[in-house]
Amino acid sequence: MSETSTATPTTEGAARSRAGTGRPPWTLSGGAVLVAALFALPGGYVLWRALTGGALHLLTERRTLEPLWRTAQLAFLVSASAALLGTALAWLTVRTDLPLRRFWRVVAPLPLVYPSFVGAAAFRSGLTPGGIVHDLAGHLGIDFQFRLHGLAGAWLVLTLFTYPYVYLPVAARLSALPSSLEENARLLGDRPLQVFRRVVLPQASSSIAAGSLLVFLYTVSDFGAVHLMRFETLTQTIYRTRLFDQGRSFALALLLLALALVVIAAERTVARRGSRTEVVEDRSSLRIPLGRWKASAVATCSLVVGLALFAPAVSLADWGLFGWFRQRRGLAGLRLDWGDVAGATWSTVWVSMVTAVAAVAVVLPVAFLLARHRSRVGGIVNGVVVAGFAIPGLVVAISLIFWTLHASPFEFLIGTMPILVFAYVVHFGALALRTAQVAVSAVPRRMDDAARLLGAGRLRRLLTVDLPIMAPGLAAGAGLVMLSTMKELPATLLVSPIGFRTLVVEIWDTYEALYLAEMAILSLVLVAISALLTWFLVVRRADHLS
Amino acid sequence: MHSPSTHARRLGAGALLVSGLLVGAASLTACGSDGQQSITIYSGRSEKLVGPIFEAFSAETGITVEARYGSSNDMALTLETEGDKTTADLFLSRSPGPTGYLDDLGMLAGLDEDVLAEVDAANRSSGGTWVGFAGRARVLVYNIDEVAEADLPDSVFDLTGHEYAGLVAVPGSNSSFQDWFTVFRLRNGDAVAISWLDDMVANGSHFYPKNRAIVEAVGRDEVRFGLVNHYYNHQEVAKNGDDQRSANHAFAPGDDGGLMIIATASVLESSDDKDLASQFLAFLLSDAQQRYLTDTVFEYPLATGVAPATRLPERPADTVGAVDIDDMAAEFKRTIEIIEASGVLDQ
Repeated sequence: MSETSTATPTTEGAARSRAGTGRPPWTLSGGAVLVAALFALPGGYVLWRALTGGALHLLTERRTLEPLWRTAQLAFLVSASAALLGTALAWLTVRTDLPLRRFWRVVAPLPLVYPSFVGAAAFRSGLTPGGIVHDLAGHLGIDFQFRLHGLAGAWLVLTLFTYPYVYLPVAARLSALPSSLEENARLLGDRPLQVFRRVVLPQASSSIAAGSLLVFLYTVSDFGAVHLMRFETLTQTIYRTRLFDQGRSFALALLLLALALVVIAAERTVARRGSRTEVVEDRSSLRIPLGRWKASAVATCSLVVGLALFAPAVSLADWGLFGWFRQRRGLAGLRLDWGDVAGATWSTVWVSMVTAVAAVAVVLPVAFLLARHRSRVGGIVNGVVVAGFAIPGLVVAISLIFWTLHASPFEFLIGTMPILVFAYVVHFGALALRTAQVAVSAVPRRMDDAARLLGAGRLRRLLTVDLPIMAPGLAAGAGLVMLSTMKELPATLLVSPIGFRTLVVEIWDTYEALYLAEMAILSLVLVAISALLTWFLVVRRADHLS
Repeated sequence: MHSPSTHARRLGAGALLVSGLLVGAASLTACGSDGQQSITIYSGRSEKLVGPIFEAFSAETGITVEARYGSSNDMALTLETEGDKTTADLFLSRSPGPTGYLDDLGMLAGLDEDVLAEVDAANRSSGGTWVGFAGRARVLVYNIDEVAEADLPDSVFDLTGHEYAGLVAVPGSNSSFQDWFTVFRLRNGDAVAISWLDDMVANGSHFYPKNRAIVEAVGRDEVRFGLVNHYYNHQEVAKNGDDQRSANHAFAPGDDGGLMIIATASVLESSDDKDLASQFLAFLLSDAQQRYLTDTVFEYPLATGVAPATRLPERPADTVGAVDIDDMAAEFKRTIEIIEASGVLDQ
């Protein structure tokens, strides 16, 4: 493929890839519609229960509209700040001569793996009396009174734990961009920040928009962080009323879904208007020298990763050590069975890897349809698949239990691994779709055309032309799915085979019993495992492929 | 850079690996039914608390226990959704609310007389569909460095006074608090209950999402008092010894602040193994397991004739289960609406 590696953007190619080439083949639309039908199961259940629940009149009441407003406010704020952080980090780690780049590339996506109740608890408790920050300040003679809660608390915690949704796709996009544009800009005298604004930003805009959308949807469906930060959003009411007032619970879930669909449609409109440049990998690995900006760049990365990854880890380690000392002093010992921890670690690893690959494979036809063809079907399929991410995990689990047992021939699958993986895929497929779509549109149609002229069949073209070029994007999407699956709790509790325990299940169990030391140690194991997997499967693989 | 065919081979191998894993996983779950007796329990109580009981039962009877854990509300919701196709034989709940909800749906079986006879009438359902197996008292937890024992209040109604302004934590969204508030409301009437909660809000009480968080915060004097279940403090003291700077205070006998909330056990109507389930209930109410629940978990035993651990305060006179609630869903819905309207969740 070396003869193509010098390809530069051409207006002709860009125009073709944007407009799409006519009507999609029926196999492709058929496949995409089938995928969408599966993804529509949770949303369909919500719609049906909301319509028959007799509580739709609540949607215009003040007690509904206030949480809706708070939810939207929080989600927009978090999306904006996560977009800023994710994009800045991606550019610094991929396109500049930032020192220790490989280190930053391994650690930057990791904050995603903190379950939000763990991350929020670590932040809250670190700052209160008995927490590490408060006590250190006390030693220095400072009476530390700052408390994290409400909108500010939820915003900070969610921003820090969701920016990887932007970082990973943008980093993948930037690593596939030809460096010639930046090089030209630089030769023409632009400083790094100008290069970033004038060249990088327009090229990466579709990835930034896609990532920000994911942040938005994660925020509206999050329960753990807003619960601990005492910020009343829609999901809080949905959880509070889930058993005794189901009509209201499902009416609010429908409202959440509607909010998500509006934002998804808006993002698609923006993304389709944005310019696209065909790219292929360019191994003339140009790095913009940061020059005198180097120190501030390192400071930025350290601050973000320090707050999002290391601060919670230190707070957790503080609890873990406390438990260890407690044991040494003859008080209650650590109640951890290392055999169980090893078992849960292995379960976490393999189920998240299987889910990641399955999710990418399932959304691929949808990605091709969206990126290569303009059709009304595409818009609908996109909305359905992406909305799966905005539905709280508990609702996804309950709806799949319902469909499986009461309206499908697959009753025998209840409580088995396939149904759990299916639940994960439906919930997290959106994460793979957005990056896969960007990856597909990055494949030059010229190459596909050439292969066709040479007599290559569709499957062969997919395997030999499309997939290799798309690999970094697909790997980034798979990484997002993997990290999200590793921390998924509600569906894991409700639809997994009985006795199947992942690390998060163990973490939740210790948290419920207030074994904070044990919870902290298990959380650190989760972070360490995800660091290893990110390194082997996402970072090293991306390096390998480019 | 690798040639395209290498990529194709790799992708093929990857697909093969994944399908292998999936098939393997499916077959793993398919086997396991080899005639051995087993029961399935959906447990709203954490594995750390009830796991040892399940293990002891298996060891003694040879009956395998399959347990799914989650919050009591989620377990009840799952059972409702599964309907008569559920594989669960038993449901253990943190409180009577979710159990009563399933009872109203007609999903619970009548229990054996032998089992019912183990528990006082006040601690089981009048319809004979569930029994309490452990109780938690509602108490006021306080910081022992900042509050003198003599100054502690007799009644939960005292907490709306100005001397408690800004000092009390209320777990407004917590299900135990909702259980307690529902009974408080039914005993005193909506008007009294609503004005008490409004006064608490006006008095600057703080909202915390969980009981445990309150006990922990009181120990650190982040907040001085908290309305919680009694056993969290005992567990914290057991873990931290003298470092735990909090203690429980029981309101005066008969005060509405000190109700007991009971954890309940029930058998699903759809169960094919009701005999085994009944055997488990008898085991759960046996002296040995009731002693474990009171000596190790620090709850009140509910089987007749078993004395509470000596370190526990006196057993409260009234329990949440003692108040018969006709329509569980409607009463809890009303409770949630009142709590939301009070604004306590924004405190």
